[in-house]
Amino acid sequence: MFTEARRYFVERRVTDRIAETGATSFMNYFARLRSDLDGEVEKFINAFTVNETYFYREDYQLTCLTSDLLNERTRMKRPGEALRIWSIPCSTGEEPYSIAIWLLENWPQVDAHDVEIIGSDIDTNVLKEARTGIFGKRALMRLTPKLIDKYFVGAEPGRWQILDDLRQSVRFTAVNIVERSETRPLGAFDVIFCRNMLIYFDDSSRRVAAENLYENLSPGGYLCLGHTESMSRISPLFEVCRFPDAIVYRRPLEISHG
Amino acid sequence: MAERKLRILIVDDASLVRHYYRQILEAKCFEVEEAMNGLEALEKLLVNAPDMLIVDVNMPQMDGITFLRTLRRQALPQSSIPALVISTEAGAQDIAAARAGGANFYLVKPLGWDVLTQYAAMFCGLPA
Amino acid sequence: MPLIKNTFHRPASSSPDPAAALTSVSPDERWAAARAAGDDPVNLAALAQVLARESDTRVREAIFTALARIATPESALAVLPYLRSDDANIRTGALDALRAMPEAVKAHLSQALADADADVRLLACDLIRNIRDEDAPRWLCEFLEIEHVANVCAAAVDVLAEIGDVQALPTLWRCAARFPNDPFLAFAIKVAADRLRANAPGSRV
Repeated sequence: MFTEARRYFVERRVTDRIAETGATSFMNYFARLRSDLDGEVEKFINAFTVNETYFYREDYQLTCLTSDLLNERTRMKRPGEALRIWSIPCSTGEEPYSIAIWLLENWPQVDAHDVEIIGSDIDTNVLKEARTGIFGKRALMRLTPKLIDKYFVGAEPGRWQILDDLRQSVRFTAVNIVERSETRPLGAFDVIFCRNMLIYFDDSSRRVAAENLYENLSPGGYLCLGHTESMSRISPLFEVCRFPDAIVYRRPLEISHG
Repeated sequence: MAERKLRILIVDDASLVRHYYRQILEAKCFEVEEAMNGLEALEKLLVNAPDMLIVDVNMPQMDGITFLRTLRRQALPQSSIPALVISTEAGAQDIAAARAGGANFYLVKPLGWDVLTQYAAMFCGLPA
Repeated sequence: MPLIKNTFHRPASSSPDPAAALTSVSPDERWAAARAAGDDPVNLAALAQVLARESDTRVREAIFTALARIATPESALAVLPYLRSDDANIRTGALDALRAMPEAVKAHLSQALADADADVRLLACDLIRNIRDEDAPRWLCEFLEIEHVANVCAAAVDVLAEIGDVQALPTLWRCAARFPNDPFLAFAIKVAADRLRANAPGSRV
């Protein structure tokens, strides 16, 4: 049995598959799946595997980050105040490093601001790998050869290590999102990426996690969830914001009373 | 007459209620979208604005009255979409709060086919 | 490279007594106190007391979360009265908090389903959705046999369609027969029955 949030997650993945295959209805899609038309069984399973991650995944959110979110945030900053971005869960580092590369490539103002990027995960093994920053071909599949040349060095056959400079610009730290004593010391961020994690929690943990994320955002700061997730299943603390490239959530600027 | 079908966003947490409205409205050639609470409705109407809202009161995360209040406060073209509130809550306080929050009309459940289609047509500016 | 290595911010040490800070004039302090108070069931009475007069929606949310984390029959009992609130926003907050502590809610369910207020009975049906208990469909059926308000029956049918099985069918038919003039209830029961039959083991999808 699914909770509502998980049901939503499953529904979205199935809807995506139905759209992708051009099936005319659920029953039509189900028939395809049963007969494994065009290898649909494997594609279906892949659509549900969330752990797999790679550079520039869900890049529409990165586009939103550099076309809108950071400009909104810098407008509210004092001169010299750093922009802070948090990636949780960061797994083996693909997301925070993607953010760093994306900013250097796509945000003209990057030289005018200090940007602090932190990657967190509950799993210390993945954090060790993230710090080492060696990736295989699959993780880099969305990056152009030019980008790989620019930001990676060959480590061993079929493996690339992210440049030292870039490695040192992302800080990795072990954090359990539902432990306030672990999230609070990180301070307030301008943008948080928290993709495909909250859907796996029960209602009570989800509430605590949402409140921790709220505390870890500056007023007016933005929260990006995975594309199959929605804050509407999790917490009413945030505002919905529609930008041309993505829907994101915002900690309200002022407290509403009553 | 325009080619485009008129779109109605149903905001209700009960799946059978959404299903019921959908059947009635689709039979009358309306296009129907669903949201299961006020926050999800905000997300959906920001992406694709409907011509009319049908809104329940008691829902998880964001109730229908808070939803309408939030929507009406924003400076967006979507903020003035007409809204019909349909609730089991028959209390005077709820009805007054819904009106104050921006409901254009308030009906108490249960609702027959004819009533729903009449209101939908009226709200969308069609002959009943 | 403009991307910088970071330094961590140290938060101010938290107040040793969250119960006292719950009545602070600053919403930020009340929010922090409510969040801290959820760590320890000893704060239950203080949380229940401030819930009654909290006017800030965000702080109220944190109080509800703290009570949901404590998750005892007593903390559920502190939240239940807010299902009767005149304010839809407070009813929603209470309902969401109760959904987050299904085990704790169980102890009060039969009482809530027997409440004199039809609105409370309706919301209590919805709480059963989250309770993982093999007897939950049976509770709903027993309730449905005696409930006399059609809207409340409709709420029970909605949940039954999700968590029930074919054993609920006779109850559904009897309910339909009792309210022959409610078009929605007739529709809901038909769809629910179709779903239950489709989900039955051995039925073809």
